[in-house]
Amino acid sequence: MKFLSPWFLLGALAVAGPILFHLIRRAARERTTFSSLLFLSPTPPKAVRRRKLEHLWLLLLRCFCLSLLAVGFARPFFAHDITPPSAAAQERRLVLLVDTSASMRRKGLWDKALSVASRYLDKTTPSDQVAILTFDQQPRTLVSFADWSAWSQDQRAVLARQRLAAISTGWMGTQLGLALTGAAELFRENSVARREIVLITDLQEGAKLDGLQGYQWPAGTRVTVERLPAKSQSNAGLEILEPPAAVAGVGDEVHVRVANSSDSRKEKFHLRWRGTNEQMEIYLAPGQVRTFTALKPPAGVQGNALELSGDDLDYDNVSYYVVPELQHVKICCQGLGATNDPAGMFYYLQRVFPATPRRQIEFMSQLEQQDAFAVISTNLAPQEIAAWRAWLEKGKTALLVLTGAESGPTLAGLLGLPEAQVTEAGGEYGLLGSIDFQHPIFAPFDDPRFSDFSQIHFWKHRRWEIPASLKARVLARFDDGSPALTQIQVQSGNLLVLASGWNPADSQLAVSSKFPPLLETMLDWSGAGAPVRFQYRTGDAIASPIVSGAAVRWQKPDGKEITLAAGAPFTETDTPGIYRASAGDRERFIAVHLPLDESRTAPMSQDDLARLGVPLGQDNEQSAALARVRQQHLQDAELENRQKLWRWLIVAALAVTFGEIVLSGWLARQVTKTEAIS
Amino acid sequence: MPDVLPAKEAGFVDPKALMAIRNLELRARVIVEGFWSGLHRSPYHGFSVEFTEYRPYSQGEDTRYLDWRLYARSDRFYLKKFEDETNLRCYLLVDHSRSMSYRSLTYSKSDYARTFAATLAWFLNAQGDAVGLFSFDERVRDYLPARHRHGHLRQLMLALEREPAGRATNLTEPLRRVAELARKRGLIVMISDLLAPVGELESHLARLTAAGHELVVFQVLDPNELAFNFPAAMLFQDVESEKDLYIDPESVRASYQRRLREHGEGVEAVCRKLGFAFHRVLTDRPLDLTLHDFLRSRVRRGRMIRRRQQRVSK
Repeated sequence: MKFLSPWFLLGALAVAGPILFHLIRRAARERTTFSSLLFLSPTPPKAVRRRKLEHLWLLLLRCFCLSLLAVGFARPFFAHDITPPSAAAQERRLVLLVDTSASMRRKGLWDKALSVASRYLDKTTPSDQVAILTFDQQPRTLVSFADWSAWSQDQRAVLARQRLAAISTGWMGTQLGLALTGAAELFRENSVARREIVLITDLQEGAKLDGLQGYQWPAGTRVTVERLPAKSQSNAGLEILEPPAAVAGVGDEVHVRVANSSDSRKEKFHLRWRGTNEQMEIYLAPGQVRTFTALKPPAGVQGNALELSGDDLDYDNVSYYVVPELQHVKICCQGLGATNDPAGMFYYLQRVFPATPRRQIEFMSQLEQQDAFAVISTNLAPQEIAAWRAWLEKGKTALLVLTGAESGPTLAGLLGLPEAQVTEAGGEYGLLGSIDFQHPIFAPFDDPRFSDFSQIHFWKHRRWEIPASLKARVLARFDDGSPALTQIQVQSGNLLVLASGWNPADSQLAVSSKFPPLLETMLDWSGAGAPVRFQYRTGDAIASPIVSGAAVRWQKPDGKEITLAAGAPFTETDTPGIYRASAGDRERFIAVHLPLDESRTAPMSQDDLARLGVPLGQDNEQSAALARVRQQHLQDAELENRQKLWRWLIVAALAVTFGEIVLSGWLARQVTKTEAIS
Repeated sequence: MPDVLPAKEAGFVDPKALMAIRNLELRARVIVEGFWSGLHRSPYHGFSVEFTEYRPYSQGEDTRYLDWRLYARSDRFYLKKFEDETNLRCYLLVDHSRSMSYRSLTYSKSDYARTFAATLAWFLNAQGDAVGLFSFDERVRDYLPARHRHGHLRQLMLALEREPAGRATNLTEPLRRVAELARKRGLIVMISDLLAPVGELESHLARLTAAGHELVVFQVLDPNELAFNFPAAMLFQDVESEKDLYIDPESVRASYQRRLREHGEGVEAVCRKLGFAFHRVLTDRPLDLTLHDFLRSRVRRGRMIRRRQQRVSK
């Protein structure tokens, strides 16, 4: 027999009351007043009489009644018919999600993470399915459910532990949202009732929670956060900012962003270039992020490191810097007219792309393979068209300006069509009727302040039919419905077809304020004019700075070399430092540093996860035990509710009370009689 | 000092029936019937300030009361006649503490004491003596000076009718106060259960003697206070201090009676030493008998004084 509310059994102690009353009742009842106690001395009551219980049967009845009430209130029930939960209900899928981000490099954290993971592995039952994922910027599967099932039962925990021991923390940022959703997606494939994700992390406030908002968690998923207890230490980190495109060369200012963790107790730090003695003192309150202008880096060194000192943790105290190089962009222009001819188109084009300290534009008259962008307005010779098409197919972009019916063969040739009809449109002038602002070229104009193209008159424009076989997207149409600007995909390249020119005879486009940004976005979109980045964060893919040539040899900070095809992005940015890309005699340095968010090591509140809808379960084993107790209590309550033994006990107590009333009444009458006789 | 006076004697009024009369004055009157003649001696024999009439002098009469001034004016002898009544000044000292409220009969010690005091007052007033009252517990509560006036007796009765309320009994303090207030010498009748420490009783009584007062002490006790007859052990609560004591009567009876007797003997010894009368009265004793005792003690005292005067004259 068990009790639902056993503490009510303490009520049985109330039987002491009747026992006491039966002992002292005699003394309490017989009391008399006397004129003076001056000549009286107290008589110690005789022990034998004091201990004598009066009306033993009455006392027993009263005690029994109280005991029945106490047991009744404790709600007893028989626990024999509890059915154990089915084996299916016991089966569960468990994903151990282990944080390997840079902030886990703090002393002792990784060992704690391993021990927590190991503890969970030890507790698994043969029916459990376990997967282990590590995550920093993205989740990676260390042990899959398939691996776990394939291993023998007695080896599972050992092998999983071995795999865990083989890895260590990296230098990446923390994309916690991605990791959680990635782990939850593993549950979509099966129908197991119990789905648990155990998140083993330091839960630093710099962790990104993207993707959690509105995420539909698989039914029954429960996330248990095992927060690794990190000693609260002052920590600050730094990140050198990418210089703006208009800046190049040594001697310019270097801006560095410094973050101080919100639980930090220090606010004075020093910045110093590696290898120099001069240092700069900065003040930053805890929890703040500020940008400082660093000291000038030492001249003559291509790559350097800026070091921060003054905090307790060292792993995030270095940011690397590479002096930006001048960028050369070659644009091939054909048939655009003379340089000084205002009636031609080149006159205006060269003014759209001025040279900047970071970018140098070179206009070419002949097509070269390294050209990034081309503007064609003339009719190409048939033998040139093949070369142009081959150039386009490599992923290049060209803008073809239709100047009249004679542009048809060039258009057909570049698009690989047998023929293309280009006709002159009639009418006084045309206006742009509809514009696709969703396309990247027009996206910058997608604002009511900039989206008015109706002031641009097109005195002449051409019509052409877009064959259905082409992968074409019309970006703008004239008001008569004919395409004005069309993007056509040519293998991996793109051809932009403009049905009118910007020379004054054709339109007012060149004198419009829309013209320079439109061509600039075209150049950027083509990939040729996009500014080359020299600062990257760990985990980023570095766009190849060398697009031509046979192969690019990449050298990581640790000396490891990797060879990739020219133009292929480099993705193994797993260590902060200076990376070197070289092809032949050309080389370029790229700085990779730790994401600044990894320096924000103050613990994040679990409420932040709960607010984003993460189905948080128990955060530690104690809570899990509490939940088991609660579950057991619910089962007990159900059983007790079914049996309702307390009703019988209350009835019995009432019966005993009735007996007590009868007996005490009888005894009272006896006492009265005795007194009357005496 | 005689031992405890007999509880009941034939021919006297049954106290139980007497106490059934609610009016205190009426009770007193019933008892005083039959005791009309004054049996005591006046300390101021033949002297009074109350003038009644002139009477022509006859030869052979005492010339002390001749009014010589009148003779000078009228040349005739007249005797000046005074009313011979205010010859005793009596103070009743009645205990009003709560210990007096104890009863084992249908009436309490206080009922008995107050009735006795009223009886004395009525009796003395009727024979022309001045009567005053002190009621006390741990100090004097009510004080009425000794007078013989119309309405004074009524005031005295009203004061006596108050129920006892005092939380303690103190004998010495009221006696000191009486000595201060009763300047003229007279008779002091103290009616109390005397259930209090004797302490400096003797010195205060001596002060009364020095002031020329006479004292008669009546110790009023309930019969059960003497017998201590309770059926079983129980909690005894002091009616004044409300303290509880668990007492087995059988085991303490002998010691209680001994200590009570010793206490009474202590007071009595003091009284005898100072020449005062001491009576222990149980509440079941008829009141007229008690009054009789009082008068008899007065007579005995008168004889004692006469014998003392004769010895002095010899």
